[in-house]
Amino acid sequence: MTDYEAVIGLETHIQLNTLTKIFCACKADSWNAAPNTNICPVCSGLPGVLPVLNEKAVEKAMLLAAAMHAQIQSLSFFDRKNYFYPDLPKGYQISMYEAPLATGGYLDLPLPQNEARRVRIAKLHLEEDAGKTKNAGGKRLIDFNRCGVPLVEMVTSPDLRSAEEAAQYLTRLRQLLRWLGVSEADMEKGHLRCDANVSIRPRGAAYLNPKTEIKNVNSIDAVREAVQKEIERQAREMEAGHTIESWTLEWDEDSGKLKKMRSKETEADYRYFHEPDLLPLHISEEWKKSILTALPELPLERRQRFVTQYGLPEYDADILTAERSLSDYYEQTVKAYGGDPKKVSNWLMNDVLRMLNEKGMTADQLRLLPAHLAEIIRLIDEGVINNATGKSLLEKVQASGETPAAIVAREGLAKVSDDAAIRSICQEVIAENPAEVENYRNGKATLMGWFVGQVMRKMRGKADPNLARAILEELLAQ
Amino acid sequence: MELYAQSAYELTRLLHSRQVSALEILESVLKRIEAVDGRPGTLDPGEFTEEDRRKVHAFITLTAERARAQAQEVDRKLAAGEDPGLLAGVPFTVKDIFCVQGTPSTAGSRILANFVAPYTATPVARMEAAGGVMVGKVNLDEFTYGSSNESSAFQPCPRNPWNPDRVPGGSSGGSTASVAAREVPLSLGSDTAGSIRQPAAFCGVVGMKPTYGRVSRYGMIAFGSSLDCPGPIARDVRDAALMLQVIAGQDHHDSTAAALEVPQYVALLEGGVKGMRIGLSPDYFRIAIPDIQTGEYALQPLPEAFSAAVHRAAAALADMGAEIIENVPMPNTRYGIPAYFVISRVEAASNLHRFDGVKYGYRTSQPVQDLRSLYRKSRAEGFGLQPKLRILMGMYVSAAQYSEQYYRRALQVRSLIRRDFEQAFDPQGEYRLDALLTPTTPTTAFGFGEVYGDTVLMQYADQLTVPANHAGVPGISIPAGFASDGMPIGIQFLGADFTEEKILRIARAYEIATQSEEWRKACPQERQ
Ligand SMILES: [Zn+2]
Repeated sequence: MTDYEAVIGLETHIQLNTLTKIFCACKADSWNAAPNTNICPVCSGLPGVLPVLNEKAVEKAMLLAAAMHAQIQSLSFFDRKNYFYPDLPKGYQISMYEAPLATGGYLDLPLPQNEARRVRIAKLHLEEDAGKTKNAGGKRLIDFNRCGVPLVEMVTSPDLRSAEEAAQYLTRLRQLLRWLGVSEADMEKGHLRCDANVSIRPRGAAYLNPKTEIKNVNSIDAVREAVQKEIERQAREMEAGHTIESWTLEWDEDSGKLKKMRSKETEADYRYFHEPDLLPLHISEEWKKSILTALPELPLERRQRFVTQYGLPEYDADILTAERSLSDYYEQTVKAYGGDPKKVSNWLMNDVLRMLNEKGMTADQLRLLPAHLAEIIRLIDEGVINNATGKSLLEKVQASGETPAAIVAREGLAKVSDDAAIRSICQEVIAENPAEVENYRNGKATLMGWFVGQVMRKMRGKADPNLARAILEELLAQ
Repeated sequence: MELYAQSAYELTRLLHSRQVSALEILESVLKRIEAVDGRPGTLDPGEFTEEDRRKVHAFITLTAERARAQAQEVDRKLAAGEDPGLLAGVPFTVKDIFCVQGTPSTAGSRILANFVAPYTATPVARMEAAGGVMVGKVNLDEFTYGSSNESSAFQPCPRNPWNPDRVPGGSSGGSTASVAAREVPLSLGSDTAGSIRQPAAFCGVVGMKPTYGRVSRYGMIAFGSSLDCPGPIARDVRDAALMLQVIAGQDHHDSTAAALEVPQYVALLEGGVKGMRIGLSPDYFRIAIPDIQTGEYALQPLPEAFSAAVHRAAAALADMGAEIIENVPMPNTRYGIPAYFVISRVEAASNLHRFDGVKYGYRTSQPVQDLRSLYRKSRAEGFGLQPKLRILMGMYVSAAQYSEQYYRRALQVRSLIRRDFEQAFDPQGEYRLDALLTPTTPTTAFGFGEVYGDTVLMQYADQLTVPANHAGVPGISIPAGFASDGMPIGIQFLGADFTEEKILRIARAYEIATQSEEWRKACPQERQ
């Protein structure tokens, strides 16, 4: 069997999380709204209305373009894309065609073994969303709520080489969109939509075979699965000597199967022309500068820096930069703590992340601030409290908002390392449990843990367990 | 003089001095409309009678009750000592291409006959906010596609008040007819290639196309979105200035409406023309019609009466201190119509996409198998001939394989036409014009059925007006006498971007210079 490689390009539509729609004052977000309740004359395409551009949508698209290393154009135009569909109330979509908002750009996708795949961006522009149609009871129902929601259409070159890479790209894109705060990027809610163009060719070949387009994939897992199945199908077809036809396929989530929607017809003629109802979009250097000062360090850059600057393993760096506020939290804690960054990473990865997951919070929402966490680690380092006390403090700080030191002082949680105090409790325990002492001395060494536990219990956990063990061993040996 | 025959300016004066009430003005106007307008246009007009032939038929919808409420509000404000606005108590009509909340807004088309707008167009809202009293929606060519009003789906269509066997012009024919017949002093029209100025010339009234962006287009059902301009129609220049004052200015519903101060047009009106440079161009004294077979342009001089009217006006203005600059080249004027044919139709076809029988307007009552046949049947039955022709032409010239050779080329021609004006008005240039003076139309109002049906010839009625739409510059047509057929002749002043106050001033100067001339005493009533 020939060794094939997949050639995959992804076409994404990203719903920007602006307050209002792109050309009118309706709310952009209609989640849970009854059909056709979040509309106005403009977005429902009544006769005589005109679009007025929401600059916030442009600004969010600018941030995304800059993060994708694309060139933001100082002059771009909106165009009309003309076609008939009931959920498109004007009979044309306002999009960009000839002179889009940005050109070029790429995302360097990290691969195993420190390699990276450069995924080039072929298209990046702003447009308005259409409404939704559905069939019910022999009728076609239309909901215009989504009409005019701002979208960025972003299309990659055919640079991805496996289903896993396609999934990785979407994961990184979703991470980036949330990181930038430009989209909620929830695929299940349609904030991030993806069509995949898939073809295969013998590994090493430079030509492109006819591709199929997979539509209606609503999660990253579904993209991975659908693309993988399509790669396998195409390989089987080719092995059987068939040629691949340019079909449009639909992913059926329930059956986990691809269905043929239609043979790809000749390219539709959308009769694009510049939208006369909107002025050319001029983006001045000042405007661009004022927006791009808000461009944060990007997740992949920060991930790399965490490895080099803090000596973190890639695994740690990856998890800590999965989400922007977590990575900020990490760095603030490292700064406040001043000690071993890996130790901070362990605390975050083991304890803080669990807390976040349980509470469904992001790091910036915690009452347990980076300074608090740093203080807890330092208290342990200094031997003031033991590890277990430290972990219990996480919840206590989160619940009360008090500083760890204040809680330690009030609840008397400081570790007792006074030899005499522990020694007298150890003597008490030995005196109260003659039977266990007998058994221990007859060789049941495993009882030592029990003795230590008794001491800790009497001292409400404040004793240094290592010291307690040493004293008990000394007393029982006598 | 009866109240209905007074100018808007005079009416506001009478109102403010409490000599009349807004309601009295309105009742006078409604009575006049009843006397001269005849039955309104409808989709199902039945037999055309001799009585119909003699009437104006400006209206599609009379909004008398809405007007009474508006007039009462003006009277209440006056009584309460509140400012009732610049247009207080002035009745006006609105071309039925503008949406007005709660009124049928038909565009003169079957496809929108049942459409009641849920919102009001900005220029109408501004007139009402200024105390103006809208008395109704007036007829037009279907979707404004025409120069005679004959294409309206609502018949009988408007007739020229100076001679009922002549067309009023178009597409704002209902507007100019209602003003010329002294049904109202003001009307709101729209101009895409001359649709305000041409019917104003045909009906012997003043019509102004402001600079593109001077007046918001919000609520005006679009034809050629890059060319369309709402504008005032009045019987004299002062009223036009007054109305422009009210409707002009920035609008947060229209990003193409310019964020510029609106000058005090009325206050600046009588500044005179001393030292102004007014140009005449040979390219506006001939008409170029392409030969269908060869594509060659045949140049025909304009009828003598038209060039004479323009030269008389030039002489009058020169007497008042203006400098007349002759032989200003405007060489691309002749390409205005072909370029317009392409650009306006590409935009029109796209603008008409939304009328699909799904959301509002006409939907076929025939059974349909699928969505596509719903679209096809609704559009086939709902649109008249003119929209269909524009859709066909617009789809053809914007198709991927033809767009380069038609649409792109037309846009280049448009830039050349714009350059003609830039050179003529360039303050550092050779001509340094304040305005260009031209005839408005190559003919007087033609008879019903004379031109209709020949879409190309009909379009050439706009040859002298369309360049201003391509270039975006302002233009005003004012009456300048009568031709030997007894019909009015219009002359036009074109200015540089946003210099409405200048061309209004020049037009007003011409009015003053000719106010005692005999032809000014004529009025349509006596000719009926
Ligand atoms: Zn809206």
